Amino acid sequence: MIQAGHKTVRKTVGLFAVLLMVLEWTRPGLSSPLRPICDLRVLDHFIKEAWDAEAAMRACKDACSIATNFTVPLTRVDFDVWEAMNIEEKAQEVQSGLHVLNEAIGSLQASNQTDVLQSHVDASISNIASIRQVLRSVSIPEYVPPASGGEDEETQKVSSISELFQVHSNFLRGKVRHLLASAPVCKQGVS
Amino acid sequence: MAKMRSDRLKIVFVLCLAFVSIGGQHFESKVAQLLRDESEDIKCFVEVKDLTCFWEEERNSLPDQYTFTYSYENKIKDCVVSSLSLLASNKTVFFCKLPKTPFFTTLDVKVSRDRRMLYSRSLNAENFMFLDPPRNLTVLSSGKEGQLNVSWLPPLLKYMDDSMIYEVRYAEEGSNMGKVEVIKVSTMLVLLGLQSDTRYKVWVRVKPDGVAYKGYWSAWTEPVLGVTQPSELDPLIMLLVLFIGLILCLLSMTVILSHQKFLLKKLWPDIPTPERKFPGLFTVYKGDFKEWMSQNNSSMWGRSVHVFTEELPSPLEVLSEVSLSSHGTSQREERKPVEEDEEKESERSDSGLPDRWREPPQAHWLMEQLRTLQENPQPLSQSLLPQSHDTYVTLNQNSQGDGVREVDDVFEETLPLQTLFTTAGTPSLNTSHSDLGSLQQSSGSGRLSSQSSFEYPNHTWPPKGPGYAYMAVADSGVSMDYSPMSSSRIVELGRHRMYTNDYKNEIFLHKWPLSGEHTKSGSDFCMGPIW
Repeated sequence: MIQAGHKTVRKTVGLFAVLLMVLEWTRPGLSSPLRPICDLRVLDHFIKEAWDAEAAMRACKDACSIATNFTVPLTRVDFDVWEAMNIEEKAQEVQSGLHVLNEAIGSLQASNQTDVLQSHVDASISNIASIRQVLRSVSIPEYVPPASGGEDEETQKVSSISELFQVHSNFLRGKVRHLLASAPVCKQGVS
Repeated sequence: MAKMRSDRLKIVFVLCLAFVSIGGQHFESKVAQLLRDESEDIKCFVEVKDLTCFWEEERNSLPDQYTFTYSYENKIKDCVVSSLSLLASNKTVFFCKLPKTPFFTTLDVKVSRDRRMLYSRSLNAENFMFLDPPRNLTVLSSGKEGQLNVSWLPPLLKYMDDSMIYEVRYAEEGSNMGKVEVIKVSTMLVLLGLQSDTRYKVWVRVKPDGVAYKGYWSAWTEPVLGVTQPSELDPLIMLLVLFIGLILCLLSMTVILSHQKFLLKKLWPDIPTPERKFPGLFTVYKGDFKEWMSQNNSSMWGRSVHVFTEELPSPLEVLSEVSLSSHGTSQREERKPVEEDEEKESERSDSGLPDRWREPPQAHWLMEQLRTLQENPQPLSQSLLPQSHDTYVTLNQNSQGDGVREVDDVFEETLPLQTLFTTAGTPSLNTSHSDLGSLQQSSGSGRLSSQSSFEYPNHTWPPKGPGYAYMAVADSGVSMDYSPMSSSRIVELGRHRMYTNDYKNEIFLHKWPLSGEHTKSGSDFCMGPIW
């Protein structure tokens, strides 16, 4: 009797262990490693959509005008300076810029806008989220909000929606793309 | 040691000069190209990493007079203006090369002179890439026919290797017509569909793909020659072709030999001979028609046939009507002289038929009548004879049953001939046989009819009238020209009516008494060889 009981206990424990292992392996979580997306064509797809949004916003000047100002990241890339930076600095610049951009474009979602504008706004928000996933897949550090309060230095103000989307497009083509191109994970695979 | 150092320095200096000159060459060529193509006042391009903006001005001005400023992200910066003389186009440009060009941000460029703004422009630097042409272009013939392997290296530029688009142009040596292939990212291409054993020139140029970077097409590389492989005849294919050809030849030979006779008959048909219709003519009588005729139809021939020469019937004119009575008597009376005249007539006739026709005695008699008529103009009731000197043949219809029966068998080819020689005694013109040739020719045209000739109740000669009928017999005698007859003129004279033409192919079955009756119409006569 006792021996049978021992056996059942062992079996149960074994099953439980196996179950835990399986769950651990399939656990859906933020830190689950993604397959690195080093192909720049993925980002190029988002960049093309950003081009379309910029062109659309440039066309609708009157209908898409808005009173408030937007805080947007700086998009400038000085190659000499950029090459001198390390990966963490680049990552921080990119991630904070994406954060700021996301907030600026996200503020348009709440307001009542035309269907065209709304579709571009939604697409841009979705694309920024996807880009974050891509950066995560190549092990780029996540965004860390600055400890000190106040505005980030790496920001500027724009006063129109067309300028906002222009900044969005420039940011993706410049900093984000060059960060992805220089990701160590991708370079290791190539070399 | 010192010497070695100086040598090294010299080498380095020379290399630097070379590099600068090459770079300068590229720079100058780019400036020259944009000067031609770009329409803006300030023309800008990015070479390698730096943005250069230039403009054209009069020669007299100096670079110091100009102020070049650019601003981005709320910062304003200056740039030093320089001048450049283009040797090729003999022009002078002022330019400024931005140090540390900011990319992916909007630049506002301004040019002013004496504090007065001349030009301004707003642009993103990454959209004006002007790359150098690709390097190390090589063209090699691949192992296959009509193909060339083209490969090159991208221009020296960081960050853009994966976002370049190339254009490959190729043309036959000496030809101006070239084809263009566009290829993305990859730096090699296989040209297909080329002619074998031909020399081709190949050029390549590059441009940013337009996603992250945009720009102008670079200059074409220097052309590189490549030769395609000569075409090879696969020996197996040759053997197969020969084998199949041999088999086809054998088959065709077999077919030809087996159907030799049939093919010969089709290609080289026998010339028809009349032997069939004239039994014994060529075999027994050795072509002597008289003898043959005399043997066959001796009863029909009342006179000597020898007077008849071979002549063609010729155009016939019916001039006047001839009464039967005068016919019969005169015929009998003039039989003899007619015979003589016939000979003369036949000699005089200008028929063209090669052989076969023999005039019946009636024809000559008629001719004689005509002649007499001509000499002594008589009333129309008189006999009408064809005025024409041409001989003609009338085919007498046997007024008796024979003729009728014979006439019945219109389609019998022998009929006409028999009919021709049937009536011996009657000088009258009886049936006119329509042209036998046309009988043959007009396939299925029904029965020959000399309708016109049979409409004479009085059996008088048809009057000579304005309408006349004549027949022209063609050379072979097979075809008859009935053109005047086709007009269907009906000439009436008194009681006589003559259908000069109405030549329907029906032989009327009219029974005419052999003697005393005359029929006539000199209208239709047909003559022709009958086979």
